[in-house]
Amino acid sequence: MIKFKGVNKWFGKLHVLRDIDLHVSPGEVVVVCGPSGSGKSTLIRCINRLEKFQKGELFVDGTPLHDHSTNLTKLRAEIGFVFQQFHLYPHMTALQNVALAPINVRKMKRADAEALAHEKLARVGLADKADAHPTQLSGGQQQRVAIARGLAMSPKIMLFDEPTSALDPEMIGEVLDVMVKLASEGMTMCVVTHEMGFARQVAHRVIFMDEGSLVETGKPHDFFANPQTDRAAQFISKILTH
Amino acid sequence: MMLFYFQRLIEIYPFFLKGLWMTVAVSGISLVFGTIFGLVLGILRASGNKFFVAIIGVYVAVIRGTPFVVQIFIVFFILPEWGIQLDAFPAAIISLTILATAFICEIVAGGIKAVPNGQWEAAASSGLNIFQQLRYVIVPQSLQTILPPLVGQYVLLIKDSSVVSVIGVVELTRVGWVTVNRIPEGLMVFSLVGVLYFAISYPLIRLSNRLEKKMATQQVML
Repeated sequence: MIKFKGVNKWFGKLHVLRDIDLHVSPGEVVVVCGPSGSGKSTLIRCINRLEKFQKGELFVDGTPLHDHSTNLTKLRAEIGFVFQQFHLYPHMTALQNVALAPINVRKMKRADAEALAHEKLARVGLADKADAHPTQLSGGQQQRVAIARGLAMSPKIMLFDEPTSALDPEMIGEVLDVMVKLASEGMTMCVVTHEMGFARQVAHRVIFMDEGSLVETGKPHDFFANPQTDRAAQFISKILTH
Repeated sequence: MMLFYFQRLIEIYPFFLKGLWMTVAVSGISLVFGTIFGLVLGILRASGNKFFVAIIGVYVAVIRGTPFVVQIFIVFFILPEWGIQLDAFPAAIISLTILATAFICEIVAGGIKAVPNGQWEAAASSGLNIFQQLRYVIVPQSLQTILPPLVGQYVLLIKDSSVVSVIGVVELTRVGWVTVNRIPEGLMVFSLVGVLYFAISYPLIRLSNRLEKKMATQQVML
C-alpha cells in the first residue's frame, strides 16, 4: 500500500529523513514513535506529499510520489489526514466540515453528502454536534470531527500526526477509542503517537525513528519488552516511567 | 450678492448631479475592476511563487511610489504615442483601476497570508484542488481581515477620483472648477462639492466601521 525506497529529505542543510525503507501492507496499523525532531511527522507527511522529498522513491497505492507529474489532488482524496491541531474549518459547522470534500471532490449531491456526513459524525459519537461550530466543541470533539472529515472520503489510508498531543488528558481516550475502532475495521493506518497503550493494543508494527533514520521496527510486544537498540531502549524507558 | 449666487447655484444643480453621477460612474467602474484584479493579484502575491511575487511587487511599488496625477497623464498621453486615441473617460477608468488594483492587491495578500497554514494543508489533504481550497476554505476566512480595510480603501479611491478632472473628465471636482468661473463664490461652490463627496463617502465609512466591529466579535468567536 505504501512503499518507501531510499527516501531522503533535507530542510536546507538539515538532513531530516535518511534512507527510509518501509512497506506498509493494506489493513496494517503502523505506529511511528521517536523523540521530537526525529522526523516521524515529516515521514507521514510525505505519504500525502504535504512534504516533498529530494531523493528516493515512494509509492502510495501504486502511485509514484517521486514523480512530479503525479496528480496530487487525486491521490490526496484517497488518503485521510488527521492533524495534531485538528485544523477544522472555523467558518463552517461540523457537518459542513465533513461534507465539503464529498460535495466538491466526489461531486456528491448536497443532500447525499450531508447524509453521509451525519453518518460519519455518528460513527465518531458526535451525532448531536452536527450544527456546532468548531469553537463550540472541546478539543477531543474537534479531533473526532476531523477524523469524520477524513473518513467521509472513504479513504484507503488514514494518517494521524500526533492526534492526541494537543488534547487535555481526559479527552485523549475518546479520540483513541475512535481510532481503535477504525483499526479493528481493517483500515490501513499510520499513526505518529506517544500513546503506547494504543500501540500495544492495535498496532501491527511499531517503528522507532531517531535523527531522521528508521532505527528499529518490530511487533509492539517485542519492541516494548525487548528493544534491539540502545536508543530505542532509552526512549521506551523515558516514556514509560512518565 | 451672496444670495444671488446661491440662487444661481441652485438653478444649475443638474450640472452638479451630472458631476456627481460621473464621479460615481468613474470610481464605481474602477472599483469593480480594481477589486477583481486586486483579488487575483493578491492571491498570486500570497501564493509565494517567486515570479509573481517579484513582478507584482514591482508593480505595487511603482504605483505607490508615484503621484496619481502623473500616472493619469502617462496613461492619457502614452497611448496616443502608440496610435491609440483614448477619450478622457476610458483613460480615467484605466488609470484609476491600475491604482485601485495596486492597493487592493496588498490588502487581499495580507488577508490571505493571515489564514493559518494548517487550513491550506487540511483543505489540500482532503483532495480539494487549489481553486476549491481558495474558494471554500481560504478566501471566506480571509474576508474577515480583508473587508474592513477594503471598504476604507474604496473611500480613499473615490476621493482620489477627483484627480481625473485634470484630463477633462467632467466629474464633481471639474464641475466645481467650471462653476467657479461663472459663480465667483469659491467657498460656496467647493463646499457644495465637498458635501456631495461626503454624501458618497460617509455611508462607506460607516460600513467600514461596522464591519470592523462585526469582524472583531467574530474573531473572538473563532
